[in-house]
Amino acid sequence: MVQIHEYNDEKNVGSFCINDNMDLLIEVLKRVDGRSLSTAACVCRQWCSIVRNDSLWEHLCFRHVSPPPVGVRPVVSALGGYRRLYMVCVRPVLSRLKRRRIGGGGESEVVTRVWNQHEVELSLSLFCVEYYERLLVGGGRGGATAGDSTASSLKFLCKPVNV
Amino acid sequence: MGPHDSSISAAAGSTSSSSSSSACSSSTKPPQPPDQMDHLLAGAGYKVRSNDLHQVAERLHRLETVMVKSNPLEISDLVNDAVHYNPADLASWVDSLLTELNTNPPVPVPTDLSDPHPNMNNMMYATNHAPHLQQVVAQPFEEDVSIQLVHVLMTCAEAVQRGDLSLAGLLIDDLQALLGRVNSGCGIGKVGSFFVDALSRRIVNSPENAAVHSDLSAYENEILYHHYYEACPYLKFAHFTANQAILEAFEGQDCVHVIDFNLMQGLQWPALIQALALRPGGPPLLRLTGIGPPSPDGRDSLREIGLKLAELARSVNVRFAFRGVAASRLDDVKPWMLQVSPKEAIAVNSIMQLHRLLGPNSSRGPPIDLVLDWIRDLNPRILMVVEQESNHNQPEFLDRFTEALYYYSTMFDSLDVCTAQPEKALAELYIQREICNVVCCEGLVRVERHEPLVRWRERLINAGFAPLHLGSNAFKQARMLLTLFSAEGYSVEENEGCLTLGWHSRPLIAASAWQAIPKPSPTMGPIIHP
Repeated sequence: MVQIHEYNDEKNVGSFCINDNMDLLIEVLKRVDGRSLSTAACVCRQWCSIVRNDSLWEHLCFRHVSPPPVGVRPVVSALGGYRRLYMVCVRPVLSRLKRRRIGGGGESEVVTRVWNQHEVELSLSLFCVEYYERLLVGGGRGGATAGDSTASSLKFLCKPVNV
Repeated sequence: MGPHDSSISAAAGSTSSSSSSSACSSSTKPPQPPDQMDHLLAGAGYKVRSNDLHQVAERLHRLETVMVKSNPLEISDLVNDAVHYNPADLASWVDSLLTELNTNPPVPVPTDLSDPHPNMNNMMYATNHAPHLQQVVAQPFEEDVSIQLVHVLMTCAEAVQRGDLSLAGLLIDDLQALLGRVNSGCGIGKVGSFFVDALSRRIVNSPENAAVHSDLSAYENEILYHHYYEACPYLKFAHFTANQAILEAFEGQDCVHVIDFNLMQGLQWPALIQALALRPGGPPLLRLTGIGPPSPDGRDSLREIGLKLAELARSVNVRFAFRGVAASRLDDVKPWMLQVSPKEAIAVNSIMQLHRLLGPNSSRGPPIDLVLDWIRDLNPRILMVVEQESNHNQPEFLDRFTEALYYYSTMFDSLDVCTAQPEKALAELYIQREICNVVCCEGLVRVERHEPLVRWRERLINAGFAPLHLGSNAFKQARMLLTLFSAEGYSVEENEGCLTLGWHSRPLIAASAWQAIPKPSPTMGPIIHP
């Protein structure tokens, strides 16, 4: 009886809610893949506001880049932010490159793959062209107004791979 | 298009004598369609009237049956010992083969094919058996429609070259009929229809008439160009390779000036601005001078593009200045318009523009030499040249036509894998305009005078430029760019420091980089010639 009582006491004292520990949540989210991160944004308002923090997406884009790119942050922020960079360029580029080499596999394989300087540069260039095309079309400032619609020059990335 | 090559060259060789003879024979009789020599076989050297075709087909069918059943020894005798008189006379030749093989032709051979009234026995036999034979023989003909199409295209082009426009007109009708039978959604049907259209325009219009051939405004041309940029990788390859070479040439320079020979919508430059922004040591001061055609409606389209590029440069903290130079022809541009300063490093960027200067000489001399001369005077650190890898500037029309047919068929093949509409349709329209210019136009109006890389190398070396090797970074980037495209048929190759992009080992676009060799300084005093 004493044991159960103690057990109950432990439960009351040691109750844990992740929402009270934002630092821990952020550390966890830094390690998940893009799909999980997007899913996490749908859990509740608090998680949504955390996921919208661009530094999480920066981490997602470049945590496996060796060496990590320097001075990229202001450029990417000006062109639309890391979340947009991931959605519009990094994810399709990586999955297309991976499919060429391995042929199949889920997104978890995409995340663990280390990608090199050339691939980073190419993704950034494509991202910049996409930003410019949005400028040409609407005159909108980077990111917010044009929504998530992909500019036409990157349509080729979104098409199904015709192997 | 590989297997068609031999048929093109073989057909082109044999058409010259026979089509003139068929033209003669049809001109001596009053024009009655059933009695006319069949155009398709005439091109191959056989004189057969259209209403005798089923008889010929029947005889060939019987010959095939007999040969299949015969003793192989007899056949080899046929090959070695038989003497055939006048093989161009197809029906009697087949009959002679049949008699050699000891069968009795039930129908007497009409010895004179130009006899307008074949005897009644022939007619009755033929009509009794015609429906069955049409069915038997029709199938192989349909499978070969694409080969026929190419063949008749070559015959028609050859007629155009000789100036026989009436025969060419008749052949156009045949071509339209053939196009109706082939799948015009892809492959030879689609390319064929563009070439047929171009040939018929050439027959109808004068090739030097500029008003007819330049029918799109600069704005519409930009739209087509943009969709061509999106649907296939050729322009992206050109831009990315050029940017990589320019970036490497500008290493360590604080003031840089890029001169773009065809600004269009400036799609090449955002990536360079971004790469300069991220360059170790910080971005330089970038000046861009964009050359383009003047806008007719008073809009300063060059300046508008400049403003957008400036906005982008501002976002990424690159000091940027833009200048637009409006000129309808590149040789109208004078060096003082570019306002280069001696302290800056200069890059000249020509994406598919230099070939437009290979036209007829102006009063000041060949336009290409003039322009290369002032480029050399600017002393650029790099001259980037991207051109179509094909020879569409040969003096003989038929050679140009053949080369263009092969080149654009390959390009359309590569475009087939693109599924995004309307990009694909508008990209095809863009290519179609190029085809029209190569086929329909002459003189000043023909601006698409593509030449292959080897010719450009000679020309640039003679003009005082030294080749710069495009490094491995450019090569890797190009290869990576191509893996992003759905199709597996693209190939990047390195060719003596130049990069070519092709489809299934046929190069279609070639990119090369050049450096100006400074001119020797002028000697003081008069030059004394020994």
